[in-house]
Amino acid sequence: MFKLTRFLKPYWWQVGLLLVATGGQVYATLQLPALMADIINNGIVPGDMGRIWQDGGWMLLLVLVSAVASFASSYLSARVGAYFSRDLRVAIFAKVLQFNMVDMKKYSTASLITRTTNDVNQVQMIITLILTMMLRAPLFCILGLVMAIQTAPEMSWIIVVGITGVVVSSAVILSIVGPKFKIFQGLIDRVTLITRENLTGLRVIRAFNNDELERKKFGKTNEQLTKLLIFIDRILELQNPLINIIFNGTSLLCSWVGLSLLKQDFAYLGNMTAFSEYVTFVMMSFLMLSMLFVMLPRANVSAGRINELLKTKESVKWRSETKGVPEKRPSVEFKKVDFSYPDASEKVLDDISFRAEAGQTTAFIGSTGSGKSTLINLVPRFYEATSGEVLVDGINVKDFSKDDLMQKIGLVPQHGVLFAGTVRSNIAFGAPNASDEDVKHAAEIAQATNFIGKMQGGYNAHISQGGTNVSGGQKQRLSIARAICKKPDIFIFDDSFSALDMKTDRKLREALKPVTADAVVLIVAQRVNTIRDADQIVVLDKGKMVGCGTHRELLRDSEVYRSIVQSQLSDAEYRKELHGATK
Amino acid sequence: MGPQNSYGKAKNKKFAWKEFRRSIKPYAWPIVLSILLAVGSAMSGLFIPKLLGDMTNVAVETYPEIDWGIISSKAITVIILFCVAAALNYAQGFILAIVSANYTKDLRTKVLEKIGHLPIAYFDKHKYGDTLSRMMNDIDVLTTSMSQEIADISLSITTLIGVMVLMLTISVPLSLISFVVVPISVLVVGKIAGFAQKYFREQQATLGILNSKIEEDYAGHIIIKSNSYEGAALESFAETNQKLTRAATLAQVFSSLSFPMTHIFTNLGYIAICVLGGMFVIEGNISIGSIQAFIQYVSRFNRPITEVASTVSTVQALLAASERIFEFLTEPEEEPDPEPALMIQRVKGEVEFHDVCFSYDGKTPIIRNFSVKVAPGTNVAIVGPTGAGKTTIINLLMRFYEPDSGYITVDGVPIREMKRSDVRGMFGMVLQDTWLFSGTVEENLKYGRPDATLAEIKRAAETSNVEHVVEALPKGYKTEISEDSDNISAGEKQLLTIARAMVANPPMMILDEATSNVDTRTEHLIQDSLENLTEGRTSFAIAHRLSTIRNADLILVMKDGKIVEQGNHRKLLAAGGFYAELYNSQFAEN
Repeated sequence: MFKLTRFLKPYWWQVGLLLVATGGQVYATLQLPALMADIINNGIVPGDMGRIWQDGGWMLLLVLVSAVASFASSYLSARVGAYFSRDLRVAIFAKVLQFNMVDMKKYSTASLITRTTNDVNQVQMIITLILTMMLRAPLFCILGLVMAIQTAPEMSWIIVVGITGVVVSSAVILSIVGPKFKIFQGLIDRVTLITRENLTGLRVIRAFNNDELERKKFGKTNEQLTKLLIFIDRILELQNPLINIIFNGTSLLCSWVGLSLLKQDFAYLGNMTAFSEYVTFVMMSFLMLSMLFVMLPRANVSAGRINELLKTKESVKWRSETKGVPEKRPSVEFKKVDFSYPDASEKVLDDISFRAEAGQTTAFIGSTGSGKSTLINLVPRFYEATSGEVLVDGINVKDFSKDDLMQKIGLVPQHGVLFAGTVRSNIAFGAPNASDEDVKHAAEIAQATNFIGKMQGGYNAHISQGGTNVSGGQKQRLSIARAICKKPDIFIFDDSFSALDMKTDRKLREALKPVTADAVVLIVAQRVNTIRDADQIVVLDKGKMVGCGTHRELLRDSEVYRSIVQSQLSDAEYRKELHGATK
Repeated sequence: MGPQNSYGKAKNKKFAWKEFRRSIKPYAWPIVLSILLAVGSAMSGLFIPKLLGDMTNVAVETYPEIDWGIISSKAITVIILFCVAAALNYAQGFILAIVSANYTKDLRTKVLEKIGHLPIAYFDKHKYGDTLSRMMNDIDVLTTSMSQEIADISLSITTLIGVMVLMLTISVPLSLISFVVVPISVLVVGKIAGFAQKYFREQQATLGILNSKIEEDYAGHIIIKSNSYEGAALESFAETNQKLTRAATLAQVFSSLSFPMTHIFTNLGYIAICVLGGMFVIEGNISIGSIQAFIQYVSRFNRPITEVASTVSTVQALLAASERIFEFLTEPEEEPDPEPALMIQRVKGEVEFHDVCFSYDGKTPIIRNFSVKVAPGTNVAIVGPTGAGKTTIINLLMRFYEPDSGYITVDGVPIREMKRSDVRGMFGMVLQDTWLFSGTVEENLKYGRPDATLAEIKRAAETSNVEHVVEALPKGYKTEISEDSDNISAGEKQLLTIARAMVANPPMMILDEATSNVDTRTEHLIQDSLENLTEGRTSFAIAHRLSTIRNADLILVMKDGKIVEQGNHRKLLAAGGFYAELYNSQFAEN
């Protein structure tokens, strides 16, 4: 938590002003009882009306001072809190944008989102609370103590009694209830989980007629939650009455002791009233501080999660300018490339070498976990080769500036990714200067014109957040159009055709040919049909290259490739294929 | 959470209030009791300052020979009073805690049951997150604001009235002076709270926008990077972030102002009492102890006023939450099952569609005049382009939706005349969406037949080719898995859902084949186990696999909600129609 206070730095003078304002407010508030005591002792008792008016005037002034101070502190604390979290969010967001895939995997998208949203909110809440109440509480506490002891030194032991009461009762209650909160959170999570499952598994639950079972499961957790809630509340509800007893008890004690001291000094008549108010202030501030102890741990978890994220060193450092002379024609080359995750002993990619030329299609095939997706993600440096070299246009990718490298790459990920905006803004995402013709042309190639034409507004049709208003296949086609529109030197298709039916898949690949004539094309595929015409096919198995060649060559030479083909074709077709290859 | 949060205002306050009252009725007596306890507690607390003041008066009057007898009797009364107040307060809190915990439980149970009773159509139209937030957030807001308000309001109002009465008994003129402060204070604080509400709403709405931006950008992370879009993304993020910051500042400023505001007013009252009270004492109109008591009462004015003023916003939150909860709970449910319902003793598996028409929105027909008769044991493959209505056929068979006209029979019995649970019990379902709930593998596998033995489960796992996968898991059949667990792959999940259907052992099967993302070896296993599953059973498959359509006894070729062709693979291919075209484009070699 305290590490994050560095984000308060730009607002140091506002925090300073806030301190002054809060100090002023506390001081003014605490002077009131003293003046009141003065009214009683030096005004009422001797019957001095002038003194009463004079003190009253001072009180009025103090109230005005405290009013101004409290307005100022309200404004300042709100502002500092809001700007603090604004900067925090920007810092996190900017940091995440720099992450590569290893970093992203380490956290998972869901957790990153929580950190940017919920965790920041938690921290903001506690910061605002600290700035408003917690700044005030210690000041009240210290100044209150000083004033109390000043007014009635013989009574100061009462403060000790009162504070002990507050601290002990809060501590006891918290120590009983505190550990239960964790269980409570667990049960809440479980209720959420079951509800979510009832929603996502709606069809399955109904298909199996399991409403009753789910209801029972839910009922059980719900019952546990209710019981725990009642237990916790039963203890927590003690807090209020106990505190009331302590406060009232101290008041009584003040009166009693004050009255018994009257014989010594009649000034105790006013002083005991003032003293009693000071004690209340002091105990109140202790109560507030105990609230901080309840909230701080929760905020601390959030702060820790944010800090962890901010502290993460990006695994990829980019040069500011590209070093080296590029070859004339685009190419991608892997030289003895290994890749493994940090701290993992197993290699995801092991000794990969190949060269992909412009105008050629290089395909990657292999079962799940063979490393084919990882492999192509080494080209835009989403993953960083553990050893070996990845070259683009003959230059090591590490010697590129980020924008220079990305400029060359048109990437189509496995799942179509769209952004809120229009059809056009999505297609022109990587080429902001694209003309309407460019956009249309890209859509045509991607076989997207048909459904775009049917959408209301055509190219200006609205795409909702995450592209939820278009189907999976349409998303994929728009993703492909986006890559085409960018006119890259290197196309990377990461299993991008699987959401398309085979007819569209074929048409699309046909239309792509002229566009990719001078470009390197890298394709990851599941279906043999998608890649059978590729100029070279790299067969991967558990991270190793077990074959490289054309469809025909591989059928002849590669055991792994043959088994993949066999699994996708009928026996007759497979025999035909094999025959064709060996001829 | 999005913009649907409890800072919103209820659109239909009457409805929200009426439903809330109806639902809370079973707890009427405990609530009344707790209100009475709160009133009692507040009242007993009220006399304490007056008694303390009396103690002072006695001391001053008998000074210097202070009469400790009277003073101590008053002190004992004070002790008794604050103990009684505390006890009543605790009893009140205790009762309310039980009420609100049980009320929460009731509401959650009702929502869950409602989920079970709503037609599937509801959930196809509404986002899961929305229902989930009604279940979790709104119920939470409703019950906490309810119990908080009941306690606060009754305490505050009692205190306020009680303090006023006691002040009047001490001194009428002084009381009138302090009362002037009340309406002004309530008015100002209420106004400020209104502003705060407005900006809170704005803050929540902007936060919703910002959150979806974050979600989108993180999910599309690699696209942003590979298109060098970071700058633009950051800029647009900063813009919304700034808006949020502004709203958050204002919301916070206004909500934190109400406290100092009331403080100022009560302090002004305090000063007036000190000065004028002092004057009265000098003039001999009032005793010094009374002034002391009076000052304490004035400071007790502070809190209840703030409470009462903030009630408006809490009640608003309560109504908004109540509206969202009861809106959901009063959604029209699935039609009840017919009474008496028809039953099929032994299902043979003859399925017939009689001239079925259907549309989701009542406008665009999805299925038109669909008729087909499927003999027992037939393996039916449904093929056709996207949007042809393949999934709809399954929705109708399972009675997730009801046809607009026409009807479906199984063994000659119209399924509409049967219980839904009986209809669904006849079919096993394996869907693209490999839904598993969080629990052990065993629990998941016997989901369709809770009384299945472990031996039966193992046999089904074996036939579904998933046995070795399960055995490779750390705790075998007792391993905990969930929808998003990553200790098993997508293909293996698919196999588990097949095994699950196998354990249930229904007379007929419905399959919606997954399209992609399974490696070839697993694909092989899935094909094989699907064949085992459909063996000898009437089955309907939305087919994406070559093997499925080749092996099908009957292929239904759908286009625009109609069967355009039907027959087996060879016959249809030979006919050279739509199917041949589809097949050649989708499956055939060059």
